[in-house]
Amino acid sequence: MRHALRVVAAEALKQHRRSFGGPLVVFSMLIWPVLQLAITYYTMLPVLDTPGIAERWPLAAQPSRLLAFLAAGAFAYLFYFSLVQSAWNFAFERISGTMELLFLSPASRLALVFANGTGALVQNTWLAGCFAVAAAGAGGALHVAHPGMYAVAALALIIPAIVWGAFLNSLMLFSRDSTFLYTLLDDPLWFVSGVRLPLFAMPLAIKAIGLAFPLTSSLAVLRGALLDAQPLTSLLEPLALLAALCTLLLAATATLLRLGETRAQRTGSMQLY
Amino acid sequence: MTRAIVTHDLVKIYPRRDRPWWRPAGPRRVAAPAVAGLRLTIPAGQVTGLLGLNGAGKTTTIRMLSTLLRPTSGSATVDGLDLVRDAREIRRRINMIAGGERMTYARLTGRENLWYFGQLYDVPRARLKARIGELLALVGLEHAADQRVEQYSKGMRQRLSIARGLINEPAYLLLDEPTLGLDAPIARDLRAVVAELARGGVGVLLTSHYLAEVEQLCARVHVIAAGRLVAQGTPAELTALTERRHTVEITLAAPAPAADQAVQALSVRTGAQVTAARDDELRPRYTVRHRHDLAGELATAVVAAGGAIVRLEVTPPTLEDAVLALADAARRPEAVPA
Repeated sequence: MRHALRVVAAEALKQHRRSFGGPLVVFSMLIWPVLQLAITYYTMLPVLDTPGIAERWPLAAQPSRLLAFLAAGAFAYLFYFSLVQSAWNFAFERISGTMELLFLSPASRLALVFANGTGALVQNTWLAGCFAVAAAGAGGALHVAHPGMYAVAALALIIPAIVWGAFLNSLMLFSRDSTFLYTLLDDPLWFVSGVRLPLFAMPLAIKAIGLAFPLTSSLAVLRGALLDAQPLTSLLEPLALLAALCTLLLAATATLLRLGETRAQRTGSMQLY
Repeated sequence: MTRAIVTHDLVKIYPRRDRPWWRPAGPRRVAAPAVAGLRLTIPAGQVTGLLGLNGAGKTTTIRMLSTLLRPTSGSATVDGLDLVRDAREIRRRINMIAGGERMTYARLTGRENLWYFGQLYDVPRARLKARIGELLALVGLEHAADQRVEQYSKGMRQRLSIARGLINEPAYLLLDEPTLGLDAPIARDLRAVVAELARGGVGVLLTSHYLAEVEQLCARVHVIAAGRLVAQGTPAELTALTERRHTVEITLAAPAPAADQAVQALSVRTGAQVTAARDDELRPRYTVRHRHDLAGELATAVVAAGGAIVRLEVTPPTLEDAVLALADAARRPEAVPA
């Protein structure tokens, strides 16, 4: 565990130096999610004039709550998509010739992919996180049943996001042809996970696909706990689903890493790019 | 137990995909082994050379010993630890340095790179800072320690790569063309470092195209061709193993029939091949080729016969000659080196 934490610290420094070199990057860390939120909000506004929409979706009648709903979606999406970006960047280790060095070292492979995900998450979301907390506090959008629900919401967002990142890292690290996932997990992830629209508005098939992504359940917990003052008992279902997905993703990550490294050792593909 | 890396009949065959995945049926071509039954011993405390032409299997062997590749069959042990079963423990004891400058992170400083890899190798915290300082001094990068690697020259990057390879104080160091592209003074410094490491007990396996480097550093050399071991021994033993000959060129001040007879007599007695000619100033010049260095005998015979020597040059066979001859012999199994 101590060695794993040292790997996390090392990866955090590496990511900080590699991806967050200048002040413009820091600026973009805030401006990008705010822009996404603004685009979503103003795209939604004309839809809100649809007759009878408030009966199906009461939030549509309350612009401030709708904004909070969308902001929570954009914020959670930022967590997950930053890990897609991180995995995409991690795959470049193969091109830069440093991937072999990681596998030459005795560092645990699982620790490496988790460290990379954790490093990316902290680097990408700290500013937007501070901003979101400040904005939500000042705007009075938070409705919490119990102070402990802040912790529940935070854990339901952070832990599955890190596991998701580790899974993507393990997927992209050993495959030269998986960068299509970067495109596949951008807008489609946004769509199927209920970032912009409530999941109940989706067709059944989309709902089923959405539930396979941890972002969907993370969002359900985040919105339920922080915006709708739901108690823990009401959120047990998405929390259980999150736990199941995390277990599944963790097992898949460990398996992919083992299979990927064994295959690379067999074929010599670790040095190919 | 003797401390060493020992390989037993090591084989590596890369699987080849010679058909598209949507047409899996039909006979597959058998891939040629990159390494075919290699038996090596790389003892601690000395530099062992691994030589061969391009494609001989040197890099594949080094990558297998560094655990980056898994042998198709055969086995290898590092101080008794199995290469596959105990890979993680072996990774703590070894490191690899390859030529080229791609083995560091360009956006990190030199010091940060070493810190990063120190963390990965779990170098004790209390030791890491001092170790980084020692290594930066060793490779002469103290002045650029806090500069980003992207601002380094090629030689500086390679030196940092060498420091990276030593961060975990490895018991065995695998060097794959480590001086490739380095300036002569830096390469000389690296050779000094390698020799010092070996004196300190580190086992080093070295591949290099600069055979003078191998001759200078290696206590023993293994020559491989087509993945097979074709010869092993000290550089001197390997050089002597081939048909290549010492060449002695002797030029006399003026024609001297007695000296000429002495040279011919030496040729008859030793079986040396003698070529007589004249140089630009029409002075007699003899070229004598033999497996042994006949310079002393030749000079003595000529002087005893009244000849006056103005020039004497001896060209011994080199390790390069030996490697080329052995590789040729491996390609033509019927040609056995003398």
